[in-house]
Amino acid sequence: MTALLEVRGLTRRFGGIHALRDVGLDVREGETHAVIGPNGAGKSTLFKLIGGQLAATAGTITYAGRRIDHLAPHRRARRGIAIAFQDAPVFHGMTVAENAMVGAHAVTSAGPLSAVLRLPRHRRDEQVIRTAAAHALRRVALHELADQSAESLPLGRQRALQVARALCGRPRLLLLDEPASGLRGPERTALAALIEDLRGEGMSILLVEHDVAFVARLADRVTVLDLGAVLATGTYQQIRSDPAVIAAYLGGHA
Amino acid sequence: MRWIPFVLAAAVVPVFLGPGQLTVYVLLGLSAMAVVGLSLLMGYAGQVSLGQASFTAIGAYTAGLLAVHDVPPLLGLVVAPVAAALAAVVVGVPILRLRGHQLAFATLALQLILLSVLGDADWAGGAIGLQGLPYLSVFGFELNEDLHYAYLVLLGVVLTAVVASSLVRSRAGRGLRALATAPVAAEASGVPVGAYRLLVFAVSAAFAGLAGGIYAFFVGYLAPGSFPVLLSIEYVVMAVVGGLGSIAGAILGATLITLLVQALTSLATQPGMPGYAPGVLSYAVYAVLLIVIVLFVPRGVVPTLSRRFRRETSPGRPAPVDPAPARARPGAGR
Repeated sequence: MTALLEVRGLTRRFGGIHALRDVGLDVREGETHAVIGPNGAGKSTLFKLIGGQLAATAGTITYAGRRIDHLAPHRRARRGIAIAFQDAPVFHGMTVAENAMVGAHAVTSAGPLSAVLRLPRHRRDEQVIRTAAAHALRRVALHELADQSAESLPLGRQRALQVARALCGRPRLLLLDEPASGLRGPERTALAALIEDLRGEGMSILLVEHDVAFVARLADRVTVLDLGAVLATGTYQQIRSDPAVIAAYLGGHA
Repeated sequence: MRWIPFVLAAAVVPVFLGPGQLTVYVLLGLSAMAVVGLSLLMGYAGQVSLGQASFTAIGAYTAGLLAVHDVPPLLGLVVAPVAAALAAVVVGVPILRLRGHQLAFATLALQLILLSVLGDADWAGGAIGLQGLPYLSVFGFELNEDLHYAYLVLLGVVLTAVVASSLVRSRAGRGLRALATAPVAAEASGVPVGAYRLLVFAVSAAFAGLAGGIYAFFVGYLAPGSFPVLLSIEYVVMAVVGGLGSIAGAILGATLITLLVQALTSLATQPGMPGYAPGVLSYAVYAVLLIVIVLFVPRGVVPTLSRRFRRETSPGRPAPVDPAPARARPGAGR
């Protein structure tokens, strides 16, 4: 298997503090890769560097064979990288369906002029966007609430909406930032099933997660971060028996 | 097509208006055009402009200067919004990096700079401005009566409203609305945040510029004093009163404020009132209105009314949670 995403020597300093230090990571085509680590290990920083919300101090990020570390976030989205953030709010003043439709921005291109002039291209893109949104909302069981205002959804459903928005861009690489946090039992089970389905369809997934059981079930491989550096990479079975990981993170559970 | 009856009603009104009232009608429509743009900018892109009348001035001076140099007025009217939009793009690249009140002050500063440049520019007539501009003529038909301009302005309002609403409901419009509340998530979804901010700034400037172009031919003379900072503030008040991000609200806000200011002006120019009365009264009313609206109708008139209406007519659907702070709605029971 070839790597879809290659992170090499990635370093990010905030002032004198290393949030990330020389991190290397591969996400192979079609694999679900989890990043775990204690609070402050640099998981969120890693995500923001891959998404483009933060710039790296040093290091390279290669996606599908090309460097992307100098691209703006919306250009990375167009290349096929979608992110469901943990802490980003849904888009206010918009319906659930419209929220999902924003995610299709990455795969459409009709500009404002074609909308004002009602060109065929506008209508074609609107059709594509509507279909993609309906499909994505169905996958997260939000299709019946499509016309509700997004901010009226309970928090767990808002998280699902973030995932639907990300799926609307038909990503090749899906970044999920603690998708299970704050979800109740059935929602968590549904999310795990969805991630397994996506993996089955060949989507590559990079997942930051706190919940070790969730990771154990879903991840093909796991990278353990601690204090901004990679402690270990391997299957869940491999890393859970790694002495450094046991000492730093898993502690008594292993 | 819900708006067609309103347009028809607005088209009937001028027939019954006297000369002075027709002037008010035209000025109201011009404000409405600029406010539709400003409402787009403030409501959908979350950017405050306290210098929006700069673009009205740029449109007006573009049309006026071209007319003075014997360019056909209709061509001048077409170039006016383009010039305003170009100006917005040029200044927008640096200043749209600012947010919130910093952007508001930057736009205010821009207008002050523009007014002082225009006041000193010989090519623009300096403080006296441009005089004796021709009437607009469209393919040989000269628009030389107030009534003609009333219909021209109505056409302009419809044009800006249609452009704004098709923009808002499009792919780009959803991107704009998304970036107003969650720019990080919007950008990660592929929305080119910087380009869209610039786009909506340019569109709002074009609307103001078109209003300015019509104003130049309607009034027939231009001076820096025709576009005071107070005009920019008036636009903001109109947009906020009507409801940000609502096109109908922008037009209603322009109507309410224009009528109110007219009433106050006629009061302030009564015999026995001091000479500074009109200015003081209009500033005071803008301030009081802004405070009252922000406290009691924070969404603005039109969104509040339409929400209430929807709630009453569709009891089966759960009412969306109102993100407006509860203290701002003393009448609402919880």
